[in-house]
Amino acid sequence: MAARTLPKTDVVIIGSGWTGLAAAYELAQAGQRCVVLERGKPRHDATSFAGPEEHDDLKYAHQYGHMMDVREQTLTFRNNSDQTALPMRRLGSFLPGQGLGGAGIHWNGQSWRPLPADLEMRSHYVERYGEQFLDDDDMTVQDWGVSYDELEPFLDFYEKVAGIGGNAGNLNGEIRDGGNPFEGPRSEDYPNPAMKQPVATTLFAEGAAELGYKPFPIPSANMTRAYENPYGAQLHPCTYCGFCERFGCGYYAKADPIICIYDRIRDHENFEIRFNSWVMRVDKSSDGKTATGVTYLDEDGREVFQPADIVCMNAYGLWNVHLMLVSGLGTPYDPQSRTGTVGRNYAYQTLAGANVLFDEEIITNPFMGAGALGMAIDEFNTGNYDAAELGFVGGGYIGSTQTNGRPIGHQPTPPDTPAYGAEWKRAVREYYSRSGGVLLHGSSVASPNNYLDLDPTYVDAFGRPLLRMTFDFPENDRRMAQWGQARAREIAEAMGHVETIADWNRAAPGQSYSIVPYQTTHNTGGAVIGTDPATSVVNRYGQMWDHHNVFVFGACLFPQNLGYNPTGPLMGLAYWTLHYMKTDYLENPRPLMDA
Amino acid sequence: MVTQFSRRAILAHIGAAGVSAALPVRAIAQNAYAELEGRPWFFLTDDEARYLAAVTDIFIPEDEFPSASQAGVVDFIDLQLAGPYGRGAGLYMEGPFREGEPTQGYQAEHVPAALIRRGIAETDQADGGLKLVDRDAEGRRAFVGSLSQSEDVFQSAFYEELLKLANWGYFADPIYGGNKDYAGWEMVGFPGAHAYYTSFVDDHNRPFDMPPKGIAHVPGQGPAQFLRTNGREG
Repeated sequence: MAARTLPKTDVVIIGSGWTGLAAAYELAQAGQRCVVLERGKPRHDATSFAGPEEHDDLKYAHQYGHMMDVREQTLTFRNNSDQTALPMRRLGSFLPGQGLGGAGIHWNGQSWRPLPADLEMRSHYVERYGEQFLDDDDMTVQDWGVSYDELEPFLDFYEKVAGIGGNAGNLNGEIRDGGNPFEGPRSEDYPNPAMKQPVATTLFAEGAAELGYKPFPIPSANMTRAYENPYGAQLHPCTYCGFCERFGCGYYAKADPIICIYDRIRDHENFEIRFNSWVMRVDKSSDGKTATGVTYLDEDGREVFQPADIVCMNAYGLWNVHLMLVSGLGTPYDPQSRTGTVGRNYAYQTLAGANVLFDEEIITNPFMGAGALGMAIDEFNTGNYDAAELGFVGGGYIGSTQTNGRPIGHQPTPPDTPAYGAEWKRAVREYYSRSGGVLLHGSSVASPNNYLDLDPTYVDAFGRPLLRMTFDFPENDRRMAQWGQARAREIAEAMGHVETIADWNRAAPGQSYSIVPYQTTHNTGGAVIGTDPATSVVNRYGQMWDHHNVFVFGACLFPQNLGYNPTGPLMGLAYWTLHYMKTDYLENPRPLMDA
Repeated sequence: MVTQFSRRAILAHIGAAGVSAALPVRAIAQNAYAELEGRPWFFLTDDEARYLAAVTDIFIPEDEFPSASQAGVVDFIDLQLAGPYGRGAGLYMEGPFREGEPTQGYQAEHVPAALIRRGIAETDQADGGLKLVDRDAEGRRAFVGSLSQSEDVFQSAFYEELLKLANWGYFADPIYGGNKDYAGWEMVGFPGAHAYYTSFVDDHNRPFDMPPKGIAHVPGQGPAQFLRTNGREG
């Protein structure tokens, strides 16, 4: 049956997470009529995330009450192209969201800026060590096409929207104690002060300082005082309740897209949001040069065509790529010929670390936690150390966090403890309030062998082929993780009151990436930003090379993943893109860069 | 003929291992199912319930704090398997089904309720020996030990599911039928769902001994009183 066609709108926005609502706010205020299509339900912090009901570990942390439903859409996965990809039948390694606010309601709130070297990664290494340093067939390192100085005003604005708390380490070029001395120069301090620190992360900071490093509080979207953002949203101080990641915050104490943006635009005459609306595809004009709008299933499952002058793709990164593939936007990546760009440069996050158990003098009270509560050092992140002798690129922050003590997930035990039984039970009881850790939150380079395409066998609830993910840790990242893990262990050894240390490394030699245990919801790439249409899907303004009225947002833009959590960088990019849409594109729609 | 159904009586039969499945509970109403004792199982058969009590009490045996079955873990599992989780909520179940690599995760052709039912049927007396509940404590430990090391894809999925459900049941909020009297939370010192720690978080190494309180607002006792109430001091 032919789709029902609605009246044309100026802008259609796919997804109501952080970037989708930021786009709606900025474009609606600029006079554009915006229609936001959200596949999930309406919800609100005050009514949907209120305690104590929200503080339900089983429902939200372990049965994924706020996450996407894999019965509607999932992906298939394999480690390499010799394997048959099989469906991700249950969520595990990463947890994309669904519903108003998207995954932005159940993030931890760790909010970083990219380093200048992150954004010019290829140039950085070539200038420092020569072209041959990146001559690795297993790796495709690229510049983003946007420099730190260009992005800085937009990173700064996002930090004000989300009320980030932290200590500036580099204020207009002046290095300041207590902050990250490696960060790029910031034009203004964080809008809020840093979080208080519990004993476990304090012991980490003391150990790191003893080794000569410069620890600083992790920049946090968990509010540290009452705060009003530039849109007029009111946020409240964090209670350190220990229910951040996987939960919404009913206290208005964790910045999220609903309270920070949606509430401030929902009543605007140019703003409309339609829930339970699944976008099936982006439709193209007959000459293929532009998009004409999107086709979606409305809440009654009827097919609807929404024409629009501009299409903004603001779904979770993986699903942006999926929509491009099923819509025929751009050229799919072909790993044999290594041509095409959609699905290319998928990357993840490389995690390793050292868990510690403290002696009996330490009482950590792990349930007093917050998603971004912790301390970190940045000496081992991309470009901050001399890689000449080490033979790999990238890096990560090394930190210690105290996010929660919810007892289903928080069961620290000494290394040789059995998985069950009397000894296990005794150990869980003994060490529940005596654990800490040192984490390497490492970068992930893109590899020609890691990519996203469409699965030949499995389909979603709407009959579309599932996205197929082919991924394993590249050798570069395995070397990086082994080295970073050793640095993490040295810090653990320098910490006071440590009884035992247990090393771990998700990218250990001989161990393939597994989609089962939770690692991070930091899936990046697949529709990357750049200045060369042969190696990027969008130009440096986030505009598709092949369809100039399609703008793409989110971590799918990252050419490779950095050693930080992605929300800060992707929101900086979003405001950068929106700035150029408003000041340049709207008055004269065209490609903003020559291909 | 009218018979009085008793979950406690059914599980008491597993006492061969020296384990009493009956916990002297304080009658606190933590949820709509607060008193499950006189109600038939929602999903399990009596034999399945006994099997689960035997296995989960190997996972979480009695010491100063209750065993799994004493803390309501079998009641918890029964409710889970009868509900959306057991029927496959959050599980993509389209075929074809293939074995796959361990890195590809759960590929069993069963929703959790079917996995547990078939797993019990397949493993109990699989070696032609005694039923699990008829074995002594050592025999039960050996049974669970061998299940935990099984290289059979189905059996290892079954084992992982059992261990996960036992853990959930011991530590999830009591509204789900397990963690009876906050046994799991009292054991580790987790204060529960009510949480304002702004003035405590940087007060280092100070014990925080507020008794637990779950979603249903029912206050717990605190570990010391919990042990006294249950006659478990020392």
